[in-house]
Amino acid sequence: PPPANAGRVPGPPDGGWGWVVVFGAFISIGFAYAFPKGIAIFFKEIQDFFGTSYSEIAWVSSIMLATTYGAGPISSILVNRYGSRPVVILGGLLCGIGMVSAAFCTSILQLYICVGFITGFGLALNLQPSVIIIGKYFLKRRPIANGLAMAGSPVMLCTLAPLNQFLFDNFGWRGSFLILGAILLNCCVAGALFRPIGAATTPVKTQVTEEGKDALKEEVTKDAMEMSSPMNITMETKTEEEGGKGCCEKVNQYLDFSLFKHRGFLIYLIGNVLMFLGFFAPIVFLAPYAKHIGIDEYSAAFLLSILAIVDMIARPTTGIIANSKWVRPRIQYFFSFSIAFNGACHLLCPLASGYTGLVVYSIFFGLAFGMVCAMLFETLMDLVGAARFTSAVGLVTIAECCTILLGPPIGGTLIDTFGDYRYMFIKCGAVMVLAGTFLFIMNYYNYRALAKEEKERKTKEEDPKSVRTENEGRNNWNKETAQDGPELEPLREEREGLKKEVNGT
Amino acid sequence: GVSGTSVEKNITLDRATRIELSCRLDNKYSHLKSLQVTWKRGNETIRHMNKTENSWSIQLRILDNSNLGGYSCTLKGEEETSAMFHLQPKIEGKEKPIVSYEGDTAVMICKSFGYTPTAWTWYMTNGSEQIAINDSLLADKYVINRLSANVTHLKILKLTKEDDGVYWCEAAFELGKSKGKLKLRVLSLMVPLKPFLAIVAEVVILVTIVFLYEMYSKKKEKSA
Repeated sequence: PPPANAGRVPGPPDGGWGWVVVFGAFISIGFAYAFPKGIAIFFKEIQDFFGTSYSEIAWVSSIMLATTYGAGPISSILVNRYGSRPVVILGGLLCGIGMVSAAFCTSILQLYICVGFITGFGLALNLQPSVIIIGKYFLKRRPIANGLAMAGSPVMLCTLAPLNQFLFDNFGWRGSFLILGAILLNCCVAGALFRPIGAATTPVKTQVTEEGKDALKEEVTKDAMEMSSPMNITMETKTEEEGGKGCCEKVNQYLDFSLFKHRGFLIYLIGNVLMFLGFFAPIVFLAPYAKHIGIDEYSAAFLLSILAIVDMIARPTTGIIANSKWVRPRIQYFFSFSIAFNGACHLLCPLASGYTGLVVYSIFFGLAFGMVCAMLFETLMDLVGAARFTSAVGLVTIAECCTILLGPPIGGTLIDTFGDYRYMFIKCGAVMVLAGTFLFIMNYYNYRALAKEEKERKTKEEDPKSVRTENEGRNNWNKETAQDGPELEPLREEREGLKKEVNGT
Repeated sequence: GVSGTSVEKNITLDRATRIELSCRLDNKYSHLKSLQVTWKRGNETIRHMNKTENSWSIQLRILDNSNLGGYSCTLKGEEETSAMFHLQPKIEGKEKPIVSYEGDTAVMICKSFGYTPTAWTWYMTNGSEQIAINDSLLADKYVINRLSANVTHLKILKLTKEDDGVYWCEAAFELGKSKGKLKLRVLSLMVPLKPFLAIVAEVVILVTIVFLYEMYSKKKEKSA
């Protein structure tokens, strides 16, 4: 008996197995963000062992972070080609191999390679696909899913910090690296949970050659009219297989560089690159600042714990708020607001006096930090759509890579030059308020332009002959399934065959 | 003050000096007439004491180790109070044991705070004895480096189980010696390997379960 939805392309599940995927993403994202920070516990011992200076050790962390963000585009290309699941499993294996070989290192250079490059690259292959697959499984409840998955970062950090200390006390740094390698292999489990969404459409495939074909034809015709220009390019390149493919078009197939013409993408890129200049420095310098104004070491560390706990709660909560019907259509404004709020916290920090003041600052900072992180990828998905998100996230992370790495050192130089932490907080606060305001204003124009284009598209739709329309920002699942990679490959081949017929008539 | 409590103070000296120790009474107790203040070193009373209105002090010339120790100022009136002065610099080793592996190298570092020692010596504990480590004699096993004036560095190569135990780093000052304690634990590679294999097994089992479940649910869908 044919399944009830024969011939219908299903929308994203928005639940069911999707929640299992969120759990997998929680673990994967958690490791990707928390691991570079958690590993700092071993640095003192390694520094003594190899007899190097502190800055040489700090390079391990920097290389790891740079590789995790810089390898974003490679990750995107691989996901575009092979889907999320194999990439995450490969990432998990790479992380494991990296850490296990790090356990046997005999020089600091080998550590740079094993911990920095190999593990960093493995984490990059974990981070991107996890975020991408949430976009494939969720649409209506996507902000909640994003918020929950991103909560993995503070939870993992709170777990890894004491775990690392325990491992170090019992096994020394070499044994700890060995065991951490095994723990990182759990990312493969998370990857195994990332069932390709094509599984939902297999019943469609088996029916397609029979009764479903006509219904599918209808679907494809509707899609043909709703295609946006870049997707036309990709579809056309596939149908022109015999002819020579332009090199640009081929690259576009793997990594969508035409995104640089996308207005929303450019706004997001500029705003975020600016924001990251002031994003991480306050966390790095919070504990040293507390010690500087006379607070003891344990209370200073406790401030970071407060931050992490508030962060943990803030992320899913922000996801729920962002999903509500009042906020979702204007989610970009909410995002700009949280960035500006973050900046305001930093600007007010120098006014905080004593431990209570810093505790209040930590609470608000944790809240703001969680809000921004929860919506970081959600807003990008909202602007470019789930189909192009794969390439978008790769391009964005490699651009952010530079400013993320520059942020703390610039803050450090400010502190060293002026001898006062105040200017670092003012700089971070000012940069973030600027970024928030920029995003707010530009998104206002973007929303207006999108509304105008929507109106034009509706008038054009009366005329069935026109095919080229602009659809940026529309979260239309039907359009997006057409662009999905190998997860829908069998389906797409069928559709292209049908499309040729449609275009011919 | 006259409250029956003992006050103890530690003074650190690293070289020969002249030092003046004085016991001062709070103003509110100066009405007490019958006050007898004695400066003692151990049980020996010190004679040459300077007395002013409400302070009693002694002057000491600390030339070598024999002068270091505890000095007390006792007040006999209605109550007895004493203050103790110790003269000893502090050396920092490590409270937690250093964990290393057979065949690997261990690095142990000792720091002296604020005061520069004239020499450093490392000792190994064998049973109840302390044996000095001679790095020129066993140059392929031990390397002692003085990284900076206040920091010393002992590297033990090619670790074996016998190297496990307590080590002492002794700093020699003009006026005496001070010790820091370090513990070394030498583990075999099997020790971390067991949790490692356990976790790898867990990962393999979980991945297999996930894939089997997926195949099972696909079969169910197809047959439905």
